[in-house]
Amino acid sequence: MRYLLLTILLLITQLTYAEEPSIALANAKVNLHDIKSIERGAKFFATNCMMCHTLVYLRYDTVAHDAGITYEKMPINVKAWPNGIKPPDMSNETNVRGPDWVYTFLHSFYLDSKRPTGFNNLLIPNTSMPSMLTPYQGQLVLAKDVKESIPIFGAKVQWFDVLEQQSTGIMSPDQFDATMRDVVNFLAYAADPYHEQQVHLGIWVIGFLLILCVLLYLLKKEYWKDIENDDEN
Amino acid sequence: MATKEKEEVDAARRCFLRRATTTVGGIGLAAASIPFISYWMPSKDTEAMGAPVTVDISTLQPTQQLTISWRGQPIWIIYRTEDMLAGLPRLTDQLRDPNSDEDQQPIYAKNIHRSIKPNIFVAVGVCTHLGCIPNYRPDIAGISPDWLGGFYCPCHGSRYDLAGRVYKGVPAPLNLKIPRHMYVSDKEIVIGKDQEGEEE
Amino acid sequence: MAQDTKQNQIFAWFTARYPIVEFNQKHISGYYAPKNFNFWYYFGSFSLLVLLNQIITGIWLAMEYTPTADAAFSSVQHIMRDVRFGWLLRFMHTTGASAFFIVVYLHMYRALIYGSYQKPRELLWLIGMLIYLTLLLEAFTGYVLPWGQMSFWGAEVITSFASAIPIVGKYVMIWLRGDYNISGVTLHRFFSLHVIAVPLVLLGLVFVHLVALHYVGSNNPDGIDIKKKKNKKGHPLDGIPFHPYYTLKDLAGAGIFLIVFSCVLFFAPKMGGFFLESNNYLPANPLQTPEHIAPVWYMTPFYAILRAVPNKLLGLVAMATAIAFMFVLPWLDRSPVRSIRYKGMWSKIAITEFVICFISLGYLGVQPVSPLRSAMAQIFAIGYFLFFLLMPIYTSYEKTKSPPERVTG
Repeated sequence: MRYLLLTILLLITQLTYAEEPSIALANAKVNLHDIKSIERGAKFFATNCMMCHTLVYLRYDTVAHDAGITYEKMPINVKAWPNGIKPPDMSNETNVRGPDWVYTFLHSFYLDSKRPTGFNNLLIPNTSMPSMLTPYQGQLVLAKDVKESIPIFGAKVQWFDVLEQQSTGIMSPDQFDATMRDVVNFLAYAADPYHEQQVHLGIWVIGFLLILCVLLYLLKKEYWKDIENDDEN
Repeated sequence: MATKEKEEVDAARRCFLRRATTTVGGIGLAAASIPFISYWMPSKDTEAMGAPVTVDISTLQPTQQLTISWRGQPIWIIYRTEDMLAGLPRLTDQLRDPNSDEDQQPIYAKNIHRSIKPNIFVAVGVCTHLGCIPNYRPDIAGISPDWLGGFYCPCHGSRYDLAGRVYKGVPAPLNLKIPRHMYVSDKEIVIGKDQEGEEE
Repeated sequence: MAQDTKQNQIFAWFTARYPIVEFNQKHISGYYAPKNFNFWYYFGSFSLLVLLNQIITGIWLAMEYTPTADAAFSSVQHIMRDVRFGWLLRFMHTTGASAFFIVVYLHMYRALIYGSYQKPRELLWLIGMLIYLTLLLEAFTGYVLPWGQMSFWGAEVITSFASAIPIVGKYVMIWLRGDYNISGVTLHRFFSLHVIAVPLVLLGLVFVHLVALHYVGSNNPDGIDIKKKKNKKGHPLDGIPFHPYYTLKDLAGAGIFLIVFSCVLFFAPKMGGFFLESNNYLPANPLQTPEHIAPVWYMTPFYAILRAVPNKLLGLVAMATAIAFMFVLPWLDRSPVRSIRYKGMWSKIAITEFVICFISLGYLGVQPVSPLRSAMAQIFAIGYFLFFLLMPIYTSYEKTKSPPERVTG
């Protein structure tokens, strides 16, 4: 019975996020202990993302504040957005989509003359979001169709399997990856700012409980000697 | 028939284990209560709402009273003229605490005019009796024939002079509270903060 | 001679006015429980522990939560980010909600395998079933409160069941919601139900559940009646006083439970989207349905049964019947023995099959619909019903073993 339960538990270890993506998600390797990465990501966000994306729930967050992200600078009261679509707030984005999705999304913009912004994205087809990262990443084009690229065994393709670099940006691919990791680290922090405190407290609590359990067990065993000895009642 | 001998109950061991477990368990419960107690402390947004406020007094006229809200309380800023200040030394015998010995003001307001600049009076507009907001009565002989100006609380009749010092024979026990404040410029006062730091 | 100390005097004053000594003699130090309680017997007291957790953390959360459509989502973010230790109390509450169902399902499983629903404990079982339903209602109303996408659309789907009722369905649905669609009106009344009404009902039922248990005495893994053999003092030979033996044993068990609970709470409170769903991090949007709506994992077995039937009303009937069968279990089981240890091969196969079906239905309920999954859900649903439908037959005719005179381990 217990083994059956364990097997089922192991089967359900697939994480569930908001949607089934069309391409494989690259591993963002989020590390919430890397505070420097989070701070760099925050600064990048403040300079490159905050003209459109708000972080309303980080209003009182010190890390965000120190990086220059303040409530006053966010586009809170903008009434007219292009196409009438308001850029979503990013406070919980990695909780909704997963950090790997965000990381892949930021890599997956490519040139598309049919789109009003001039760009498209592999993870959100016909997205209204302009490609803000092209100066850093360089221009990419769609070299192969996603559907045609699926290998025989049905594994999903990665973004770099179908997108080709047409011209370079100011960052090398490695630099761009590292910067995007910083941004995703920051967004993951933004979604769960208490994470460090949570893990730290958890270690202490479980450590304490282990000691308490030893004592409780010894106490129980001591009193239960009465039962083992007293067979005839 | 049972062949096993019934063992003696090791009372000392039981007592030790009981006490040890109770102690450790007690520590655990105490520690577990910390988050629940901390939770009641002001949250980040409440702290932000209670942050120091800056007031611009450039348009304040003589005898004018400006009232602003800070931490849910009325803060008065009053431009006192020389005539208004002149009466203060004459009231010593009629006041409960003429020298501001009670801890109702920061050190820089422990003087006869109970302020940093004699002409600008900054005070918490809450009666020290039961918390009503007193009326500003600078009018000479307004409350009584020998009234030199001050504050009159309509709830139970407490009276204060123009430096917020409480009269004898009224229900209020203390002088009006002076908040921590500082001048960032000639025309700007920050309420809730001074050179030593911010109000808790 | 007892010392006439101040402490003894106060104790004497109190005990002359309140039956605390008699209560202890009857229900704690003097309640004789079978001495062979095993692993499966922890889950009743664990349920009480989790109930206590939910009430206390719930009270604290209600201090900072705002039950209006405009502010609900923000107030939860406020708790998580701005209130000191708010994240901890919220996670304790969400982990507790899932823990409650794990513990209650295991508690019910114990009753299933040891026949704790058989005479004279049928009423105990019925009260337990009422607690289960009340708990489902509590969980449902609670899940709406964060007012995320799943909160809103889950409420939309579940309250729309009412519209399947013939003739009056549409009006019942509007009556339930208080509005023409799920809105802040619904949210506010669910808040009142979740925080006040349903907890009171739950507490009352738990009290009644314990009274019923103590009146007839506890069952045990061998399913035999320990009261049949008593010693010279009138106590069951196979019974031991609840205090100190089971108070200490349950405390030790609770310690282990708290370690497991803490591991989830501090290291994986979202449990990959099963305990805290990803979509619920998006504020409710009445104009946009999420790609995939599913109830939280603990409701999914019944949800899978509902979806397995292609007709709206019949699906609801199937779901209601699935729960109704659980109520009448005491009368379906015709076995002369209580415990699975002494029942025949058919009962053992049946219960294994039932568990497989229940868990599989639960799994399928979380997944999006597909033709293959629908077919599998139908098969497992039939398997679920067969457990109950065939029970009167196989329990009457199977060859059982004789249960022992005295309890075994």
